[in-house]
Amino acid sequence: MEETAIRFENFGFQYKVQQKPTLYDINLTIRKGEKVLILGSSGSGKSTLANCINGLIPFSNEGTITGSITVNGVETRSASLHELSKAVGTVLQDSDAQFVGLSVGEDIAFAMENEAIPRSEMVPVVYRHASVVGMQDFIGAVPFDLSGGQKQKVAIAGVLGSDVSILIFDEPLAALDPQMGQTAVELIDNLSQNGEDTIIIIEHRLEDVLHRRVDRVILMSEGRIVSDSTPDELLQSTLLRDYGIREPLYITAMKYAGCSITGNLNLCDIHCIEFTKENRTKLLEFFDGGTSVPQEDTGEEVIRLEGVDFAYDEGVNVVSDVSFSIHKGERIAVIGKNGAGKSTTAKLICGIARPQRGRVFIGKKDAKGLSVKEIGEHVGYVMQNPNQMILKDTIKAEVEFALTVRGTSQDEIRERATDALNACSLYPMRNWPVDTVSYGQKKRITVASILVLHPDVLILDEPSAGQDYKSYMEIMHFIDRLNREYGITILFITHDMHLALENTDRAIVFADGRLIADDRVFAVLANDEVIQRANLKQTSLYTLALRLELPPEQVIRRFIEHERSVKAGE
Amino acid sequence: MNNKLVINFIPGKTTLHKMTGGTKVLLFVLFTVAIIVTFDIRVLLPLMAVPFAAIISMKPNYKPLIFLFTFMFITVGIIGTIMLLVVSPDVGMTHVGSHTVIWQATDRLYITSETLWYVLVTFTKRVASFATVIAFVLMTTPSEFASGLSFLRMPYKICIIVSLAYRTIPDIARRFIDIRNSMQMRGVELNSKRTSLGKRLKYTGAMLVPLIISSFGKVETIANAMDLRGFGRLKKRTWYAEHELTRADRIARAFSAVFAAVILFYIIYTKIINPYPVTMWCPFVKLENITKINALDTIFFLKWFD
Repeated sequence: MEETAIRFENFGFQYKVQQKPTLYDINLTIRKGEKVLILGSSGSGKSTLANCINGLIPFSNEGTITGSITVNGVETRSASLHELSKAVGTVLQDSDAQFVGLSVGEDIAFAMENEAIPRSEMVPVVYRHASVVGMQDFIGAVPFDLSGGQKQKVAIAGVLGSDVSILIFDEPLAALDPQMGQTAVELIDNLSQNGEDTIIIIEHRLEDVLHRRVDRVILMSEGRIVSDSTPDELLQSTLLRDYGIREPLYITAMKYAGCSITGNLNLCDIHCIEFTKENRTKLLEFFDGGTSVPQEDTGEEVIRLEGVDFAYDEGVNVVSDVSFSIHKGERIAVIGKNGAGKSTTAKLICGIARPQRGRVFIGKKDAKGLSVKEIGEHVGYVMQNPNQMILKDTIKAEVEFALTVRGTSQDEIRERATDALNACSLYPMRNWPVDTVSYGQKKRITVASILVLHPDVLILDEPSAGQDYKSYMEIMHFIDRLNREYGITILFITHDMHLALENTDRAIVFADGRLIADDRVFAVLANDEVIQRANLKQTSLYTLALRLELPPEQVIRRFIEHERSVKAGE
Repeated sequence: MNNKLVINFIPGKTTLHKMTGGTKVLLFVLFTVAIIVTFDIRVLLPLMAVPFAAIISMKPNYKPLIFLFTFMFITVGIIGTIMLLVVSPDVGMTHVGSHTVIWQATDRLYITSETLWYVLVTFTKRVASFATVIAFVLMTTPSEFASGLSFLRMPYKICIIVSLAYRTIPDIARRFIDIRNSMQMRGVELNSKRTSLGKRLKYTGAMLVPLIISSFGKVETIANAMDLRGFGRLKKRTWYAEHELTRADRIARAFSAVFAAVILFYIIYTKIINPYPVTMWCPFVKLENITKINALDTIFFLKWFD
């Protein structure tokens, strides 16, 4: 029998400040050397479960424990946070905030500093740990110069103490763009290759984690374990739908084609899945059908950029020679990896940044003559983090704010605020204090607070970041309704290919400050050269097309059509 | 980012940059003490020259420095002097010890050469301490600051807090700009030409709410990250940033020992052995002509209560 690394027995936990337990009846055994994914939507208790293993519970977060949890045979309650941290390394979600040291070397050395190990002994260890994650050439670098993926590598190196045999990754993909996420999944897999370290990954993005093999998937919901199975078994069940987890796109495609999901070997990996003969025929038939979507009529032009250049520091262009125009009622994805210039382009449209060369038109007017406030009446910008936008105590006051500062009359404020609140389904809760609502609701508040200005265009910066699938779907439904019912043009700034695929018609792709593609979304996503140049990640539909030896554009287009007709029927 | 704020995050290449945090903090403390204890311009001028020489030797980006020194010259130099002349025109009497009017407007508004001397000396003192601070900030990264404080026997938890606070300044500045942008887009006019100062202050105040709330989340994460890596368990801790002593370190530390002794002797000599009757030496006031008066007498409005 293999050694047990972690064992939960009838385990439960309740935070001191909460009225109900967060975890109930957890019975779980994780063997040494296993690679386990703990899956669940926000609030399912998956992070709490991890904190029970690394000792933050009960040592930093107080609460009541029932039952037992042992790590390497030791009951955690009788150990100390310090003893546990020697055996369990935890990489937290926010790779920015957990960067304690000022340079890469210092951050890796942090645990040793706390052990009061002399500096001369630290230096070689720091180098060795940095080499494990491939950061040995960046030991002197500071966090401002590192990408999100590099910061995460440093965080991993920082927990690789000598005795660490269990590694916990708390939402390792949350802060990364898809390409970096893929690298992170590969790196985690490399760490598990020696067969001795136990790896626990906490995520809700199933498809991205399944990029590399995992032994087991534990699905959690409302503080309980609802399933404990291999990835293949899980994908064949209906549990993902039931518990609000996004299933891999190719599985959805197979379901649309009427395939039976059971009976295919290697279901969890699109590269080596073995389709049954029947399924193969069904897929080919499905993707063969369908008519080409007619080009939708677009309305008048609302924004136009002409040969725009912008640089923060002289001589280093962040955006070079960008031209495109946007028409009323369009849904557009502006895609590109972090730092490709997509956010700067949004700032240029909003007038926060002004072009050094070229021109920006808002409606028919040159933006040069308009103040940020005036542009704000046509273009609304919703920041990624709603906490950075909310200024007032109650929802109503927050939504009315933009009109109040303009000195609009009381009657008009009430009328427009009521409309905006209704559009965002917030009217019944208008008098609630802002800090009592969820993250997704806060996001809706920020949208409502901009809708009162009746903008023609709404720019949303990374609307899917920091949210689980369920709240992401809610927001997308809501944005879609704004587009259909109010004719508002929507611009998503994102690196999430799923979002672009499901919610937009047109994609504008940036790489290194240049616009490299501007076409209908399925054409862009099927263009491997563009995706490679933009350093983005292909969706699994692309791989599926290659496996079926069909043109990717046809597969993606057919998928989008079918999905939209399914949604319209709902 | 580095160039806009004077704070230095990457250890620089010059001799001074390469010294250990301990040496840097030690020199900073000694210079600050020396500047505080003396009012003698013959001592202050060399004390002022050293940090300036240090700044130049580090080949900094001068743009923000020129801004800072100009700002200081206008506020402390010009505005401060005018206020002083209005409130307390005869302050030179107290500190220099004589009264020679060179220009008189009214009963209460006049200029004496002693007051001008007093202004010159205190201004030199302020410039010297300001230059010391700038030189220190330029040469020290936040981690060196922390390890240096720890070298001076400061409890290490305080050192870490100082270092964390010091290095989050650019983060907060960036977030502040984001929040300000989003407010402007919702129609808040922050342009000084179009909006009154009162309104602008009010809106800036409103910006603090999202700034503080979005910062709170980070605090918890960083506390967890530190707990998980054994922070605070032992009484002592070592510092990765505190590297081996360089030659400059050895020289500077030897100098510091001598310098500390000199400061101590200077204090004892000027305060106990041979105290000067008034605060400061002045080339045009002879020792035998000095009159000592009570400092409170020079503040004009106190006379109203007589």
